[in-house]
Amino acid sequence: MEMKRRIGFIERGTEFLKLKRDHLAKELTASIDVLKGRRSILLENLRVAYRAVTAAYISLGPTEVRSQASSIKTGLELEVLPRGVMGVRYPFIKIEKEPQIAGELDITLSEAAEKVLAILDDILQLAEFEARAERIADELGKTNRKVNALENTIIPSYRQVIKFIEDKLDEESLEELVRMKLIGGALARRRE
Amino acid sequence: MSPGLPYLVVRSHALMADLLTPERMRALVEQESLDGFIEQLVDTPYGEISIEAEGEISIALEKVFYKKFIERMMDIVDLAPRNIGDFLQSYYYLRFEVVNLKRIIRGKFSGLPNTQIIESLISIVPYSVESYEGLASAETYEDAVLRLEGTPYESLIGSLELSEKYDAIWPVEIALNHIYARAVLKSLERLPQRDRVLVRRIVQAEADVENFLVAAKQRGAREGAHRPEEMFPATYGIGLETLRATIESDDIASVIRELDWPYIQILAPLYTGDVALIRSRLRQHIYDIARRGRAANDFGFNVVMAYLVFSEIEKDDLVGIGWGITQGIVPEDILKYLAIPNFI
Repeated sequence: MEMKRRIGFIERGTEFLKLKRDHLAKELTASIDVLKGRRSILLENLRVAYRAVTAAYISLGPTEVRSQASSIKTGLELEVLPRGVMGVRYPFIKIEKEPQIAGELDITLSEAAEKVLAILDDILQLAEFEARAERIADELGKTNRKVNALENTIIPSYRQVIKFIEDKLDEESLEELVRMKLIGGALARRRE
Repeated sequence: MSPGLPYLVVRSHALMADLLTPERMRALVEQESLDGFIEQLVDTPYGEISIEAEGEISIALEKVFYKKFIERMMDIVDLAPRNIGDFLQSYYYLRFEVVNLKRIIRGKFSGLPNTQIIESLISIVPYSVESYEGLASAETYEDAVLRLEGTPYESLIGSLELSEKYDAIWPVEIALNHIYARAVLKSLERLPQRDRVLVRRIVQAEADVENFLVAAKQRGAREGAHRPEEMFPATYGIGLETLRATIESDDIASVIRELDWPYIQILAPLYTGDVALIRSRLRQHIYDIARRGRAANDFGFNVVMAYLVFSEIEKDDLVGIGWGITQGIVPEDILKYLAIPNFI
């Protein structure tokens, strides 16, 4: 009885895990579609920004670029907070302070910096999304392994044990019945 | 004692042969690795370049090219008659000193460590100040500017008020640009009248383009835009009204179209989107001014000036190539921003 109660519990757990797996798979598929779209747009924007940075370096020289970049007083400040979906935790990035590029930079460098700044939010969002997708995929893998282990190993082995016990009990009760019948027959013969 | 201008002119003609040709420059750009680039330079006056294992390679290369240019300039100064030598020293040393002062002020403004500030400086003997280390050791950038009292940069102290008002160092940087332009134009008086035209054209073209770029940068900041009179205490070929129109106009292309040649051509990348091209076009224009100046007078000061202008542009191009190759940038993208290989 204990075993049967336990297997009922395990089967209910497996159903929950299957639901979780399906939900995670749905989340992952949606995330991958979004990622593909965002990534290609971001890559194009990155190319444009990188070209502008390259042009600034070639035009001004590396030391001058560094010197000018150092005059930016307010740098980028970020806060990384935890968020969760179906028990999967992923980082959420919040921009606390954006760099103030106005004023001090040469126009070449300031154009490049503006291009980088314009995609900064997209870069962070994409990084956050990638981390989310990666962790969902990781959790999906784990859940899948758990479901498979439960469905293919644990539940069948429990069923086997229960069947063995049931067979044993049936066998024993049959033996008992035969024994009772034999005793009953012997007693009846003695009374005659 | 100087052997005289005729010898200096002959020497400059001879030294021109040491300069890298556009074809050689293109061959350097096309090198796939830094080793190939350095190897290609072995057969040139740059000879064997050894780069320290520590530190950034492109910055080490930049120092090598600057050093070579300063050596070339000093060779000329040593041979030049006094008036030309004095002018060249003030022209180039002042230019580098202004760059160094800007780097010190920026470094102090952003709180960089002194060693990092000193490391970023062009290695020259201080020209009009006592020592760069002394300025870099100041507590704040205001303190560093105040230490310039008693030097030709004294007037920078006046720009501190504006700098504090905007909590920015651009007023100090712009004031430095004007001190440089004024000092060079003044030092021209040391040269005979006929030799001044070339340098005046170069200095004015540089100042005009820099002023225009500063004005163009203010366009987005209507509300916070600074007063043109504050930003441009001195103007040359591009006047204050044009600079004001640049700041106020919604259509910069129409402002540029109203400008005279060569600005209409140099500044065109502002509305086509690739602003870095402006500097390479300006360098090409300066290269052309020097070339024409030399053609106009092949036996005078113009030849000396042309040699130094070509050398300096070569240095700038080599710095760009060195950085591009260390970063693995494709040759076409490097070539686009160079002056000499694109000079037609």
